[in-house]
Amino acid sequence: MDATSVLAAINGNIATVGYGLAAIGPAIGVGIVVGKTIEGVARQPELAGQLQVLMYIGIAFTEALAFIGIATYFIFV
Amino acid sequence: MLPSATEDGQFKGPSINEFFPEAILFAGSPFEINRIMLIRFLAVAVLLLVFWLGTRRMQVIPTRFQSIVELGLNFARVNIAEDILGKKDGKRFLPLITTIFFMVLFLNITGPLPFLNIAGTSVIGVPLVLAVIAYVAFIYAGVKKNPGNFFRNALFPPGVPPFLYIIVTPIEFISTFLVRPVTLTLRLLMNMIVGHLLLVLFFSATQFFFFTADGGFKLFGAGTLVFGFAFTLFEVLIALLQAYIFALLTAVYIQLALAEEH
Amino acid sequence: MFNAVIAAAAEGEARNPLLPEIYDIVWSSVIFVVILFFFWKLVLPRMQKLLDERAEAIEGNIAKADDAQRKAEAALEQYTAQLADARAEAGKIREVARADGQKIVAEHREQAVAEAARVTASAKVQIEAERQAAVVSLRSEVGTLAIDLASGVIGESLTDDAKASAIVDRFLADLEASEKAAK
Repeated sequence: MDATSVLAAINGNIATVGYGLAAIGPAIGVGIVVGKTIEGVARQPELAGQLQVLMYIGIAFTEALAFIGIATYFIFV
Repeated sequence: MLPSATEDGQFKGPSINEFFPEAILFAGSPFEINRIMLIRFLAVAVLLLVFWLGTRRMQVIPTRFQSIVELGLNFARVNIAEDILGKKDGKRFLPLITTIFFMVLFLNITGPLPFLNIAGTSVIGVPLVLAVIAYVAFIYAGVKKNPGNFFRNALFPPGVPPFLYIIVTPIEFISTFLVRPVTLTLRLLMNMIVGHLLLVLFFSATQFFFFTADGGFKLFGAGTLVFGFAFTLFEVLIALLQAYIFALLTAVYIQLALAEEH
Repeated sequence: MFNAVIAAAAEGEARNPLLPEIYDIVWSSVIFVVILFFFWKLVLPRMQKLLDERAEAIEGNIAKADDAQRKAEAALEQYTAQLADARAEAGKIREVARADGQKIVAEHREQAVAEAARVTASAKVQIEAERQAAVVSLRSEVGTLAIDLASGVIGESLTDDAKASAIVDRFLADLEASEKAAK
């Protein structure tokens, strides 16, 4: 089976792949945000509350990209 | 693998049209009511009932039910409004932030609830309306705080060399006045749509594997059922988290508008 | 998911979830307004009232304690003031007594001084009177004695009264003059 026939066998929308790619960035970003927050809390446990709020804000901004990724399918359909 | 499975049984995944069910009342009019609208009404009725009962006879020493309601209200007041905005401004915008928090929460939570199974926020109306209100609220806060200066400060941040305004101003404009409401809307909407689609996918796949597929595929059904259950719990978390984030971001935007000085 | 979308599109048109329906917006707005007014006008004021009551309950206890403390302080102050008053009163009385005593002593002393002066004066007057009497009697006696002595010495009687008294007078004048010269 060569590559062409494999590709031909896959059906569906290429946008799925696009979304998969679009999710990489936010995934890494959210990972960094959460990881750094954990680091921060480990260093200064008394700031845990504040750091958590900041973490959620950071995650919200970062993950927005992933949801824009989903939305692009509907925008450019 | 999938084609072989769908050959006979016709596996049908969830469709986006689930979010546009048949109209029940007033079809075609601006007051059309369908299943999702009914679910919204139900959620709102429950919300009104809970808070009406919870605050009807408030005592200094709370009963159990009252203390739960108080816990919720205090969360919105202390952890969102006062934490971000401070005591004074927090009090000013408290009705708005409390409303957003509980409205999103109660409409979200219908998503993972059995028999309702779809979030009231999974149609763009609620996220869009709330995002527009948050947008209006932070612009109002900024304009009220320093009339005339708000837009100049927002678009031409002080302390930047003038020639950089060519780059900075469009970025600021897009990030402040376009991206904020759009992301507010999309974050909530897409979370709920995707959550619903995932749950439908897991449970319809479970049904398909159990009753339509044959042989070894029935085993997959157990896997998808477990995943479906796990994701139901996850959706409860998401419902809470999205309500928190929506209210939190509204507060943050208002705070940013208020903080722009000079 | 996208398969399904395409399948749905084949059946009917796939709806775009990003395009809001009018009824959706209408009902969302209605819901928002209802909840906003519910929280704004009913729930949050009730909650605020409760918080105020709770704060009052706590502050009430503090205020009560404050009140008690204030009362105690006032009582203490009053007591101290009374004590000070009493002390001042006692001091004043003592002062008056001392002044009175001094006055009495002074009066007595004055009286005594006056008495002494009076006694002295009368004594002086008496002495003067006695001296005068003595001088008078002495003059006559000394004259007689001297004449007797002189007549004895010169052997002749100085009976001529005019002559004799002239001699005595002259003698006494001399005597006084010599006394004055001696002084």
